[in-house]
Amino acid sequence: MTNSMRQASILAFLLIALGMGVFVTKAVRHGFPLTPGVTTTVWDFEIYLEFAGQNRATRLEVFIPTSDAERNVSGEQFYNGPFGLSLTRDDDTRNRRAIWTYRYPEGRKVLRYTAQTIGETPDDPIPSSLGRADRDARPFEGDMVRQQAFIVWTSTLRRRSADPLSQAALTIQEIFNPEGSDEIEVLLPDLPRPLAQLELARITLESQGVAARVVNGVFLSEGRRRADLRSWLEYRAGGEDVRYFPGGEPARFFTLWYGTDDFVDSRGASELDVQIALQGNRSSAEQVALGPNGDDSFAVRYFGFDGLPLTTQLVYKVLVTIPVGIVLLVFLRQFIGIQTLGTFMPVLIGIAFRETALLNGLLLFTILIAIGLAARMYLERLQLLLVPRLAVVLIFIVIAMAGITILMTGANQAIGLSISLFPMVILTMTIERMSIVWEEYSAGEAVRQAVGSLMVASLAYLAMTHPQVEYLMYNFPELLFVLMGICLLMGRYTGLRLTEIWRFRELARR
Amino acid sequence: MLKTFLELKRRGVIGINERNVRYVNANNPRRLVRLVDDKVETKRLAQQAGIPTPDLIGSIANARDMRELDTLTYREDGFVIKPAQGAQGNGIMVVTGQLKGGFRLANGRRITKDEIKFHINNVLSGMYSLGGQPDVAMLEYRVKFDPVFETVSFKGVPDIRIVTFKGIPVMAMLRLPTAESDGKANLHKGGVGVGLDIATGAARSAMQHDSSIDAHPDTAAPLRDIQVPDWDDILLMAARAYDVAGLGYLGVDIVLDEQRGPLLLELNARPGLSIQIANQLGVKDRLNAATHAADEKARDAPARVALAKSLYTDADSADIADEAAVKQAS
Repeated sequence: MTNSMRQASILAFLLIALGMGVFVTKAVRHGFPLTPGVTTTVWDFEIYLEFAGQNRATRLEVFIPTSDAERNVSGEQFYNGPFGLSLTRDDDTRNRRAIWTYRYPEGRKVLRYTAQTIGETPDDPIPSSLGRADRDARPFEGDMVRQQAFIVWTSTLRRRSADPLSQAALTIQEIFNPEGSDEIEVLLPDLPRPLAQLELARITLESQGVAARVVNGVFLSEGRRRADLRSWLEYRAGGEDVRYFPGGEPARFFTLWYGTDDFVDSRGASELDVQIALQGNRSSAEQVALGPNGDDSFAVRYFGFDGLPLTTQLVYKVLVTIPVGIVLLVFLRQFIGIQTLGTFMPVLIGIAFRETALLNGLLLFTILIAIGLAARMYLERLQLLLVPRLAVVLIFIVIAMAGITILMTGANQAIGLSISLFPMVILTMTIERMSIVWEEYSAGEAVRQAVGSLMVASLAYLAMTHPQVEYLMYNFPELLFVLMGICLLMGRYTGLRLTEIWRFRELARR
Repeated sequence: MLKTFLELKRRGVIGINERNVRYVNANNPRRLVRLVDDKVETKRLAQQAGIPTPDLIGSIANARDMRELDTLTYREDGFVIKPAQGAQGNGIMVVTGQLKGGFRLANGRRITKDEIKFHINNVLSGMYSLGGQPDVAMLEYRVKFDPVFETVSFKGVPDIRIVTFKGIPVMAMLRLPTAESDGKANLHKGGVGVGLDIATGAARSAMQHDSSIDAHPDTAAPLRDIQVPDWDDILLMAARAYDVAGLGYLGVDIVLDEQRGPLLLELNARPGLSIQIANQLGVKDRLNAATHAADEKARDAPARVALAKSLYTDADSADIADEAAVKQAS
């Protein structure tokens, strides 16, 4: 065993030992689950404000979620740009607001708030901040006629119900009765529906000594760029927590603020665009429970991405899977002997498949390569210099991509839309390499290498996007050391490749 | 499959991985590899050491040099354009002579001056160089190959590849161009490889596309009868190439010119492994033998040649050597 061999083996052993050591510590001592099976969905929540500054004092007040014992919000981040930020909290309603201010903003401005939450379910207890159960009845406010109507209506309700709970249910049923009745129409406050009905229900319940409030938030059903704001009612009648959702109960929701105020209150900003974005991420239940400072052992603190901002975490989620693709590529090259165009090109294509999904990606790749190759063959006749020719091919690829997108969208195919960041530089270099192989060897050899590359790219894509792989690599980044160790060992493999066994097969026969 | 794998291992057949790790990386320091990757540099070193090479007509490194193109290409007997840092025979253009205001290529096609300029520009921009870095195009004397190989070549120049380990010739083959390889002698382009006995330069066995063959695919001439002339000179040249390049694991490419005899064509720091198929023999045992013998008896090139001849006359090749001796005598 030579010195270099021994060094490589020792280093590989150390790396693997380090990675596996931390991995086992986390798995055994801290009970990190090894599969994504036992997970809950963690929702990335983002409020996105975009507006045009008018070069005058600007103030934006936005409700942001409150963290209660019952509702876990973590990883809050504010992206303020040049704006000043202050946070207020109303002790009575427990509403939180972010207030962004700036004296002379000009041009388009973006403000963001992001957080993570697991949300709430309709069965969760209502946060204790909902007033005392037996607070004094509040009188209905309004002119004489409406007060009169209110008293008449509520006394019939009381007569027709047995206890506060059934009376509350009856109240809501009456208010949301699609048939409607004139007396309720009169009572509805001046608000958009269903907020007006919810507010009336709240007033009615409170007047009867039932603690109630209007809640605003979002439903956590699927990832969306623009989630709708919803309103519902929660009350506590007869010691029981009840939520009423007009239009059906969601499986999971997330509370932003209480009351009937507008979500955003802005001054001095025009063309305001408010978006609420939601993105669900599977994550281990344990980790959510641990929280940012639940456990501070060495292994947990230094081998994890929990402390990072949300956006950075998302980047690393993808980044840490790439080495898996690379290891696979090394294996396919050093042990199987598959020939590819360019060393790491297949992995880059595999990464591009993330956006297009596998079949679409393969289809797009093949089409673009074929078109590009045809263009390259023609350009050969014009006898251009190398770099300008590459540039022409690249621009041609962009045009071809645009063409495909437009055609496919016209034909109602979603395939074209996923093309967005398909790496055209890689495509261009692939085309260039392929045409050199084509000229110097044969069309067959060029196609063979292209197919080999696509095969490796597909395998790399499947490996990199496998949920188990994603889960393990993201939650146990120490495995990167193990991968590095494996690569070191593979780098010292001196045996025959699978394709070489075939190539040299005659030598074994004689 | 596993059986084949073990059998190949037993017979000392090495693959790319082993070549790279055990032989190239371990014996070829990078700074020296650079010298043989640049063919202009190789030629300069060889000439310094008194090893004959095809003459350099001139090299073109930029647009100014390009103006000299007319003078450089005004040659009755043709020339060869090569990327100085090319690999695997890519980007080599063989011009055999003038033809109707243009030039005639080795494969018979006519080419204009503009097309030649375009090709040179491609070479300069690094299209064929190893890492894609800018390159130099060299114009070289076109070798008129020895008629001894006339019957077993198809439009192009056959060459002899000798793998040396620490200067000891370890394995040799003759590479013959075919119609498929477009006049180039590279095996992966479809050239024919004929394994040669190290002691005598007589053919042992032959292959094309990794399978053994008996006759040239185009000329149908039998390949087993080939005897390379001037074999001792060729061996000595290969052994001396080690003194020039200093690379422990080295492929030496030699051509036989009609008038000038053996010429050193180029050196290769990562010689391919098909030579094993051409010789129907794994190279590992020979490399091991060379490793053990290298230190004591291999002081100068003639000693290394003598060492090679004594090391590599196994029973199998001895038979062939006898046959060859009979053939030569008759």
